[in-house]
Amino acid sequence: MGFGRYLAKKAVFLVITLLLALYLTVVIANFGGYVDDLLRAQARFDAVRGCNQVPACAQLPAEQRNATIEETYQAIVDARGLNQPFIVKSVQFTWDLLNFRLGRAIILKDVQGSDDVGAIILERLPRTILLFTSASLIAAALGIWLGLRMARKALSLMDRGLTIASITTTVVPPWVFGILFILVFAFGLGWFPEGNMVSAPVKTDPLEYALDVLYHMTLPALALILSSFGSWAYTTRNLVLQIMDEDYVYAARARGLPERTVLRRYVLRAASPPTVTSLALTVIASWQGAIITETVFSWPGLGRLFFEAIGALDAPVIIGLTAVYAYLLVVTVFLLDLIYGLLDPRVKALRRG
Amino acid sequence: MLAFLLALVLVVPFVAPFDVVRAWGSRQAWLDNPRDAAPEWTELFAGKKLLRSMHLSPCHVPDAVPLSNVTLRERCPRGDWTKIAVRTTDFGNYTFITMRQKFYYDADVFPSEMSMSVWAAYGPNAPQVTVTWKRPDNVTVTLLQDVPEQRAPTPNFYPISISSTVKDEIRVWAITTYNATDVSLIRPEVTLFADAGPDMLDSRKATILEGEYTLEIEMIGSGIIGMDAKAIVFGTVFGIAGTDSNRRDLLVGLLWGAPVALAFGSAAAIVIVLLQTILGALATWFGGWWDEIVQRAADVLLILPLLPILLLIAIVYSPSIWWILAVLVGFGFVGSTTKVARSIVLQVKEEAYIEAAISYGASRTRILFKHIMPRLLPYTFALIALSVPAFIFLEASLSFLGLGDPLLPTWGSILGQAYNGNAAYRGFWWWIAFPAGGIVFATVAFALLGYSFDKVLNPRLREQ
Repeated sequence: MGFGRYLAKKAVFLVITLLLALYLTVVIANFGGYVDDLLRAQARFDAVRGCNQVPACAQLPAEQRNATIEETYQAIVDARGLNQPFIVKSVQFTWDLLNFRLGRAIILKDVQGSDDVGAIILERLPRTILLFTSASLIAAALGIWLGLRMARKALSLMDRGLTIASITTTVVPPWVFGILFILVFAFGLGWFPEGNMVSAPVKTDPLEYALDVLYHMTLPALALILSSFGSWAYTTRNLVLQIMDEDYVYAARARGLPERTVLRRYVLRAASPPTVTSLALTVIASWQGAIITETVFSWPGLGRLFFEAIGALDAPVIIGLTAVYAYLLVVTVFLLDLIYGLLDPRVKALRRG
Repeated sequence: MLAFLLALVLVVPFVAPFDVVRAWGSRQAWLDNPRDAAPEWTELFAGKKLLRSMHLSPCHVPDAVPLSNVTLRERCPRGDWTKIAVRTTDFGNYTFITMRQKFYYDADVFPSEMSMSVWAAYGPNAPQVTVTWKRPDNVTVTLLQDVPEQRAPTPNFYPISISSTVKDEIRVWAITTYNATDVSLIRPEVTLFADAGPDMLDSRKATILEGEYTLEIEMIGSGIIGMDAKAIVFGTVFGIAGTDSNRRDLLVGLLWGAPVALAFGSAAAIVIVLLQTILGALATWFGGWWDEIVQRAADVLLILPLLPILLLIAIVYSPSIWWILAVLVGFGFVGSTTKVARSIVLQVKEEAYIEAAISYGASRTRILFKHIMPRLLPYTFALIALSVPAFIFLEASLSFLGLGDPLLPTWGSILGQAYNGNAAYRGFWWWIAFPAGGIVFATVAFALLGYSFDKVLNPRLREQ
């Protein structure tokens, strides 16, 4: 099987996976039509209330009034597309998603009052990227650096200490660190603000504004870094140690190559593909934000948006967020496969065989 | 650490029986505790004497109110706090009951609150109750005068700290007697224990008057009457772990958080990891379409965001903890562990002893369970240990957002209530630090367990 065919097969499977995931998301976020029931009930309520508030309608005889209410209700239902069965709607919705039409939100709006899901998401995305992606990258850099040092001095006191530290910090999610940091650094010592992205009143000078955001970012970023550098350090350490055990590394050493060259040319090169994979996946995952971390720090990003959407049962927003993430994930996975196939002859040969 | 946790789980039901858990959600059960009280041992660092709640109920007999026509001394063995006198006045025969409780106040802080309950038993006409407060400086102030509406056993509750009648009484008394500076918000529990003077109404400037105080409750009524009373001077410290804003003893919640977290975390981890391993191994071993379907299903479920889905379900149904578990299993029957199992089975499949087993005619099922599953087991254990923290935190996340099991005390829900109650801003660190510490402790214990498995499984990591 050629590499091209392999890629094509992979792509087909990824698209099928994506389709299934999207359809499932649509069904789950709408509770299999339950949200539509809610909206229909809301529409009926609106129709009844609308009639009762207008004396001309409220004073009509019962039969006529009911007919008017029914008419208004039908009009609302038609206008919002609530009259189709859910199966049809869900398929339609999935098809729209595939065409990057994210639809309109039911309740949530962006700052300008638009209910376009794309606009709502795009408004929040930069804030989440600013905090989470930079924190993930810093954590990755710090973790990889520490992991390399640990691997070089394996089983030393530093290695053991850092291993325990990495394992213990990495199981604790950032929001727990966040709460403790807020308690100690924001309220106890008063060094950092306890939440939000900017202080009120908002600074007008761009430089001051940037510094203000940076100042507000420090605590959440620290919490995120502390909870994720450990897994990087520990995985890097183990990966490097495993590679150092390979025959070709011994051979390189036996040839008398200096330790730095061995490390750089033989160990790091072999260690980079899995590292790049997890880095790419981490960056993608960081674009989702984090529901609770953002809640704890009142950071107005995508995680917060997700939670608001869930709280308001705003299905289109929930679906839009999931869909954007799913697209990014699938595209990244495919790209990574493609790049490895092109770069790593071993993978290519393996796949071919 | 794990041993400590397990011991805790075993001990907890004896320390705090399950009834307490059922009472966790009710406000009634915790009325006698102070609000937002720090742990008692903070006194060691505070450098001053903090106040434990004082219960002034010398003769509180549950379910029975001492009546004026029986010998009260038998009912109340602790001395001369009650006097009964029948006097004839110009208006007829009246019975007087007087209760007196002396106590010594030597804390360096003011109480956080005061409240009183009076039980009254009477005939056709309700009696009158007068509560007076005698201070060490021999000043007497009338706290309240009331005709109790409720008959025993229902108590008449007087929230001294927030009752506007009491506040007015005290304000007028302090201003007329001591020319005190008036402030808009007064706290009766401060003024009552403050040094007499112009500052006694201002809770920021008032200083404490140490000494023996007397609370006197007098009831006047006609015919046979009965009275019982209980007053609480709420302290600023309570128990080992303090209390929250709902007066709940946090220690109970913290202790019960351990079994809840462990039960949920390990149940979820065991069920999900085992399911994923078995499905992954089965599908890989039998191969073909099954393999493809299971792998695709795992991919699909890995794309779906788990926490948002759980939140969605929790918001709509507010399920109990076991339903949350069921949903987790429903969305986690295949997943990352399936992939791990697959890679291991693919590796093991090629080994010679499997070939040998095939050659002597063992059935495929037999080979799977006899020869392949045992190879998977150690990884399964390690993965179980490593995924327990994730599930503990998942549950904590849900409860933190107020979407967990509404009836159970969990570390996450305590943290969530602390967050919503602005505990950090108001300086109630114990309300945050202990539950957070509990979660971290439990998860770190499992992480270290998983790490030790990891060391056993990957001996190469040790050799270097």
